[in-house]
Formats: sequence, C-alpha cells, structure tokens
Amino acid sequence: MKRVVVPALFVLPCLTVLAIFIYWPIFYSFYLSLHDVNLLSGRQRFVGAENFVDLALDDGFHRSVAITATFVLASVPLRLALALFLAQLLVAERPANRVLRGVFFLPYVSSTVAIAVVWSWLFNTDLGLINLTIGALGGSPQNWLYDADTALYAVAAVNVWKQLGYDMVIFIAGLQAISPTLYEAARIDGASRLHQFRTITLPLLTPTLLFLLVISVIDSFQVFTLVNVMTHGGPALSTDVIVNFFYRLAFVRLDYGSASAVVIALFLFLLGLTILQFGVLGRKVSYDLD
Amino acid sequence: MTSIDLRVAAQQTVRERPRLSIPWTTVIAIPLAVLFAVPMLYAVYVSLLDQSDLMSATPDFWPPNIDNYLTAWSEHPFARYFLNSIIVCGAITIGSMITSIMAAYVFARVDMPGRNILFMAVVATLMVPTHITLVPNYLTMAGFGLRNTYWALILPFLASGFAAFFLRQHFKTIPKEVEEAAKLDGAGHWRLLWTIIVPMSRPAIAAIAVFIFLSEWNSYIWPLIVTDTDDMRTVEIGLARLFAEEQEGGINNWPMIMAAAVTILIPPTIVFFFAERYLVSGITMGGNR
Repeated sequence: MKRVVVPALFVLPCLTVLAIFIYWPIFYSFYLSLHDVNLLSGRQRFVGAENFVDLALDDGFHRSVAITATFVLASVPLRLALALFLAQLLVAERPANRVLRGVFFLPYVSSTVAIAVVWSWLFNTDLGLINLTIGALGGSPQNWLYDADTALYAVAAVNVWKQLGYDMVIFIAGLQAISPTLYEAARIDGASRLHQFRTITLPLLTPTLLFLLVISVIDSFQVFTLVNVMTHGGPALSTDVIVNFFYRLAFVRLDYGSASAVVIALFLFLLGLTILQFGVLGRKVSYDLD
Repeated sequence: MTSIDLRVAAQQTVRERPRLSIPWTTVIAIPLAVLFAVPMLYAVYVSLLDQSDLMSATPDFWPPNIDNYLTAWSEHPFARYFLNSIIVCGAITIGSMITSIMAAYVFARVDMPGRNILFMAVVATLMVPTHITLVPNYLTMAGFGLRNTYWALILPFLASGFAAFFLRQHFKTIPKEVEEAAKLDGAGHWRLLWTIIVPMSRPAIAAIAVFIFLSEWNSYIWPLIVTDTDDMRTVEIGLARLFAEEQEGGINNWPMIMAAAVTILIPPTIVFFFAERYLVSGITMGGNR
C-alpha cells in the first residue's frame, strides 16, 4: 500500500493545481459556451449552439479573424526568414557570435509591456525616431499607430522584433545538429554555398522549420499584450485581434457565454493545427512513455 | 629541426593567420545587431533627456538627467509594483518548481499504477491555450473573494505541465545505480529525491526556474483581469496604466515614460545576463519536445 501512497502524494500537488486551474476551466468554458449568462442575476440558460451560430454570423468576429490572419501572415514568414538568416550567420560557436546571439535574443525575454511602450514612442507621429528617420531621408511621415491602414503592420513589426531571437536559437540548435561531414563532402564535390543550403541545410532543417512554423502561428494567433498596450484594438477596431475581441466580450461586456464560445473556437482551431503537426508531418513524438 | 620543417612551420603560421581574423558572417551580423539594439538604446537615451529637449534639434544630453526616473518612481507607486512582481514571480517560481520536481520524479523513476495516464494528463496541458481558462478562473477567484490578492496572482500557476515534462525527461537520464547506495541505507523517495536526484539535476532545474521567472515577469492578461488597485498591480500592469493615463491625459511626458519602461526592463536583462546559458538550453529542449 505504501508503495502507491507515497508516489501518489508526490504527484498530488501538481495535479490538484492543474485540476482546479486548467482541467476544470476547460470543462467550464465548454459549459459556458452553451449557455446564455445573465449579467445581473448570474443565471445561466442553456442555449445549445446558439452562441456559436451568433459568432459565425457576427461581422465583428469575421473582422477579428481576418485581422488576426493578416497579423499572422505579416509576422510569421518574416520572423522565420530573418531568424534563419541570422542563425546561418551566427551558428559557429565563437565568443563574438555568442554575444551577438544575446543581442537578438534579449527582446524575447524582456518585458512585453515595456517593449510595447518603447515602440509606441518610436512610432510616434511627431517626434518618433521612425518618422524622423523617414523625414531625414526625404520620405513622408506616417501616422503609424493612429492610422487604420498601418497600425496592424506596425504591431506585427514589433512582434517580429520581439520573437525573432527565439526562432533564431531554435534554428541554431537545428543547424548544429547537422553533421559537418555532409558539408565537407559537398565542398569536395565543389558545391556552392547556395547549393549546399538547398541540398543539405534546408531538407535536414525541415522538422525544425515546421516546428517553428506551428509554434509561431499558434502564438501569433493569440497576440494580445502588444495590441492592448499599443493600440487598444484601434484605431477604428483595425487591430481588434481575436484575443482582444474575446477580452472585450468577457471583461468589458461581461458576456461570458459568447466570450467562451470565442475561446473554444480558438482552442479547437489551434488543437487542429497541433494535430496537423504531429499527424501530417509525421514527427516522432519525443515523450515516449517507457 | 631542418630548414624544410621551419619553412613548413612558417607556412602554417601564415595560413593560420586568416582564421584569427573576423569571419565575414560576423562582419554582416555586427551592424545588424547594432540596428536591432537601437530601440532599447534609444529608450535609455530618451529617458535621460528633459522633456523640452525632445522638440529641439540639438538635445542637451550632457549631463544625463535622472529626474525622469525619480519622477516616475515618486509620482507612481513603482516601488509597490516591483515588490508585487517580485513576490508573485518568486512564489510562483519556487512553488511550481517544487510541485513539478515531485511529480517529475514519480513520472521518471517510480513504478506506480496509472502513472502513464497521469503523465499524459500533465503533458496535455501544454496544448491548452491560457485564454480558455481566463473566464472560469476569474469567476473562481471572484467567487472566493480573492480578486486583488496575492492568492489570485499566484495560485493558478503553482503547477507547470512544461516544467514537469521537462524535468521528467531529465530525471530519466540519471542511471538507476546512483540510488542503490542510498536505498541500502533505507532512504525513502523523499530523501532520494532531495539528496540525490535534485542535486544531480541543478542545471536543468536552474534552466526551468529562470524560464518560469521570466515568463511570469511578463505575465499580462491574468493580472490585468484580477487586479484593479495600485496595491496589487504588478510592474507590467503598472507600466501599461501609466502609459494609458499619460496618453489619455494628453501629457505625454515621454522621457518619464521611457524611464519607467527602462526600469522594468532592468530585472529581466540582469537575469538574462547571468542565466543566458541555462535559458537557451531550456528553450532548445522545449523546442525539441
């Protein structure tokens, strides 16, 4: 008996916290998404799929999805391309490279709000460094965060700047796992650098690339802090990404039923992406259970 | 040594010299890194200016002006925000490390019926987006009257599926034999874990602890939801408030705002400098999961 009790007690604290703050909330979110929650009385009325149907017909939600998709498309490919380029430059283990990697990695671990505030200043219309530079080069200054046509891209640029270092570090680990003898053999055969990149690096880096693609799509779909600090979803809701849409529903309008439907939809969508990663990409799952 | 040997040796030194020079990849990377660092450096620079200097073409930078820092800290309760963040991040880091270490030990090294199912349940939490838990957790906290308390900020994060998974992978690599001597001495799981397994896993534990601390320092949406008093706000929320108030009020004292932002960037930067190696190993391990 003691053989089970002691290990069970070891696992208990971890599982209790997860049960209260993750398992139960998932279940309860599903439950709420099928109910209409009355704000005043707190009474919950079962409405079936009504919240989801309303959502599917809601122009505001459509716009949020489109905005989020644009955000993902504007940031993810740029992030990965720049990160791969930097990883190629800094892959060798030299002291100088380690310092340089640190420079690119630092924003990833820095305070997101502070970064959002600093970039808001850089994007400032009258005095910001970006418009000053554009002016000095003879271009025309933009309204950046106050222009519905540019605000989303400005936030996406900051996202690229902040997340780049993470992608770079993962790429470097992937590159370092490729055996140097492959490159030596290619050099002896007289293959150019570009050719080596196409025939050796890219194929062997595919698992890393796909992993980062899925991770970065998942986290860009959930962007919130940058948007909340830099634009509050504006101007004219032009940066009202899905999580901001959810936040307004849940914590400004206190419509818990509809808000839960939004996150359930987001959850199922992201789960689909994850399954795609493990299924279609056929990657060996590393947490084997023996 | 013959003259031929000497000539060969001389040629080798000549040949080796280019290796000591800076490789072209670094030559490209340096200007990129400088450009990349401009936002942070510029923020520090602006935080040391007078507000009147912002408008002038030739800002009077010297001597640097630390008044903005004093203003930010005296007109806004940043000392309190810092205290709150340190208490919350510290408690979460220590607490979640303890629960994760204990669970990981069982998942990695103890035979127990149902162990694999429990482990799967823990790993599955890695796929759950935090946002799905926000409304129910908010209602739980509000229901127990815990809004604006440290409990609300700390409790939900006292377990981490990621940490338990990561540590379990690491604990599995420790050979069984190291436990044998201790077992002969009659040591139970508790002593085995804390006197043998944990000391042998310090780098992995440090990696995860740093990772958790930094992500909690960055935590935004949860403290935004469960706190609305200055007494309980963390640095992230405090800075966001200050920024929003300055914009709404049309004051826009940018040097002071930058000073506040810079002070909040300091702790993660320090942790980063001391723990970069651990952090990178933790992240690459997470990345290869």
